[in-house]
Amino acid sequence: MHEYSLAHSLLEGLLEHLSAHPVEGRIVKVHVRQGELLILSQEALKEAWRILTEGTPVAGSELEIEQVPVEVRCPGCGYQGDARYLAEEGWHQAIPILACPECGAQVEIVAGRDLAIDALTVEGPSGPPAGQD
Amino acid sequence: MHEIKTGFGDILKRQLELAERNYELLADRGVRAINVMGAIGSGKTVLILQLAQRLQAKGVRVGAIAGDVAGDDDFKRFQTAGLPSAVINTGDDCHLDAHRVGHALKEFPLSAVDVLFIENVGNLVCPADFPLGTEQDLVVISVTEGDDMVRKHPKMFAQTDVVAINKIDLAEIVGVDPQKIVEDYRKVNPHGRAVLTDARSGRGVEELLAVLGL
Repeated sequence: MHEYSLAHSLLEGLLEHLSAHPVEGRIVKVHVRQGELLILSQEALKEAWRILTEGTPVAGSELEIEQVPVEVRCPGCGYQGDARYLAEEGWHQAIPILACPECGAQVEIVAGRDLAIDALTVEGPSGPPAGQD
Repeated sequence: MHEIKTGFGDILKRQLELAERNYELLADRGVRAINVMGAIGSGKTVLILQLAQRLQAKGVRVGAIAGDVAGDDDFKRFQTAGLPSAVINTGDDCHLDAHRVGHALKEFPLSAVDVLFIENVGNLVCPADFPLGTEQDLVVISVTEGDDMVRKHPKMFAQTDVVAINKIDLAEIVGVDPQKIVEDYRKVNPHGRAVLTDARSGRGVEELLAVLGL
């Protein structure tokens, strides 16, 4: 149930951002990037968002969560890129393996543990054009 | 409708920065810290007490921080064992985080210890997403949790480098083959090290110390 504390941190960050960069119009969607290695339930995160945003300027907005894949770097052979996945029968999801797909050495994680708000979808006539900060 | 780029940053990066601060503080004070994670009742506290006892016999000074939602039961166990110790009550959170641990470290007599065990809240899943800034992570599971623990939490074990499979004295009684857990773990984490332990009797504890390099 750490989704609540993560949703709370996302909300705090967003409200702070909005006080520095006010938005004209109603925020309807909040686009979240979630690294594949995070162990969280997207449904629980969305539900936590619905509850925690009540009474805030972003009440009624929905989270749109995009899961991004792991990227690894090998200190042994210098490989950088996608991880190898375990995809065997009996395992219910593809599991990223933190060993180098090229040489098998233990890898560093470059991406895959992130949780960030990348963009907002805003409804309203007077908002700035898309892409503007 | 239009889209606005925000890019105000990754909220978990803040956690990572706080964890790095803890890591530097511990390194600066010459303290090797281990984040001990695992479900309620997996045997984390007893295992820490056993590891501590053996380390103390070798002249290593050991401390412990007990993380719990509420209560000071584990803290009292550490106190009774004579370990410099502290308690972190998370109130409603299901995990420790680097911020809370940072506060506890400020108050902790770090100069009195060489090794510090930080016992996370009893919860196999949530603590994994919150690095504390320890040198190593240790996950404790018990055979009583079933032989499919790795399959049920594969991403957790793919990211965990040392696993103690505890209560192996009960394996036969509950009909679990610990080797099945070890095999599953090797599949998701080819570099991980699994140690079979029975913390009550002390079986496997020396081997676990060796794997942790303590």
